Amino acid sequence: MKRRTTLLMLTIVSLWSSPALAWDPFRDEAPSEPPKPAREPDPAPFIAPPPGIYYVTDTYVADLVTTTGPVTTYSTTTVHESTGSYARVLDTVGTGAASPFDGSSFNGRRVVGDGRAVAGTYYENYVLSEGGFVPISIVFFQDDAELARLLGDAPAPAVTRPAPSTPPVATRPVPPGCCAPQPPVVTTAPPTPTPTRPIRPGISLLPVSTPLTVLEVLRGRAVSLYPRAFVDDRELPVRSWLVVAGNAGEPVATAGRGGTPFTTSWRQLAPPGAMYELVFRIEVDTPDTGQQTVDATIAVVVRSPALER
Amino acid sequence: MSWMRDDRGTALVLTLVLAPLLLIALAGVLQLGALRVVAARVRAAADLATLVAVNDQDGAELARSGVLRLSTDAVDVAREYFARELELSSSLLDSAAAEIAAAADVAAYPSAPAYDTYTGARYDRPAVRIAAHVPVRTPVFGALVLRPVTTIDVLSVSSPR
Repeated sequence: MKRRTTLLMLTIVSLWSSPALAWDPFRDEAPSEPPKPAREPDPAPFIAPPPGIYYVTDTYVADLVTTTGPVTTYSTTTVHESTGSYARVLDTVGTGAASPFDGSSFNGRRVVGDGRAVAGTYYENYVLSEGGFVPISIVFFQDDAELARLLGDAPAPAVTRPAPSTPPVATRPVPPGCCAPQPPVVTTAPPTPTPTRPIRPGISLLPVSTPLTVLEVLRGRAVSLYPRAFVDDRELPVRSWLVVAGNAGEPVATAGRGGTPFTTSWRQLAPPGAMYELVFRIEVDTPDTGQQTVDATIAVVVRSPALER
Repeated sequence: MSWMRDDRGTALVLTLVLAPLLLIALAGVLQLGALRVVAARVRAAADLATLVAVNDQDGAELARSGVLRLSTDAVDVAREYFARELELSSSLLDSAAAEIAAAADVAAYPSAPAYDTYTGARYDRPAVRIAAHVPVRTPVFGALVLRPVTTIDVLSVSSPR
């Protein structure tokens, strides 16, 4: 009896289970039409770069004004460094010539002794993002010179002689007086005065970008900070910098020379509602300012992508 | 009355009656468990996609203002990664992963505070939100005269905090 029952159960189970095991839930989804041929994805859309753009290999550091005897030279100091940015020439202007970009550069445009704007070239800086070239700032590279009257009223012999047919750079013939013809006289530009305002420090993410006081960074992401110094609208070359206080995260170095960024990353978030205060001691040493140190502070907020729900 | 004490036939009857019921119940439980696993994978796909999109920040804006701001293509990044993550579970989905991601409601809120018109939530930080309906194959349910395709509603929001 037991053998018959067992045999019967096995028969029933096997007959009952086989259709279920053979059932294919996806058999109705067989492709009714041939699959579409694989298509190569479209290449990334071509984004035309601004005309005349080039890769920057010499980065702006500061405006430089030097006086040698009666000659005052306006030039721009650069550092041979590639920051990954691009630039193009916006406008090249002569002495006293107006430009539509006047007032748009972060370093301003100086004037010579008689109040005219110095000659130079406006450049626009770009960074290359996924959306193309993004303009970030405009910088003015001054390139001019003028003959200044020597201290005292006696003009220098070299500049009181009649002007040549082509006047020297940055000199201006004074209009003749009303009563007697006078030889052209060079401008009475005094040397660039020593800045009286204090040195203003700043920290920026790029060598030529806007100085920041508060910075948000993502946790663990490397960030480079450029210590900088300014007097009025003029940037001073930084000789060296040093991190003197604050949570510096995991820095590559806590001190460096001018033009070298402070590179670090933070792997820890600050306590809720708090931020990391980072203090840099910046040393400048120029003929105008002498050797000075100023402290720059930047507050760093470390954030991390998180789920809201 | 000896036949009342003879239970040799009851085992067969019980087996014939209960085995199908037990197997049906077992199949339903297994399908339900598989559905929960798929739902977890879909939620993880949406969460990861929003996290990746939030992690993609606008470098130019950061250099200009020092403030984290979502990249202009945050929506596209979220949608792309949602499709990539769903592709890993494509055998369980009733539609192509790319189609599901394309139909998903993806929104980026680059500045805060912002209000989500879909959920009504307020975001105090720049956020990326994905709301999607993901159809999942449930063949056992279909065999049991239930729905052969079950739709999973997923909602994920991420922001840098």
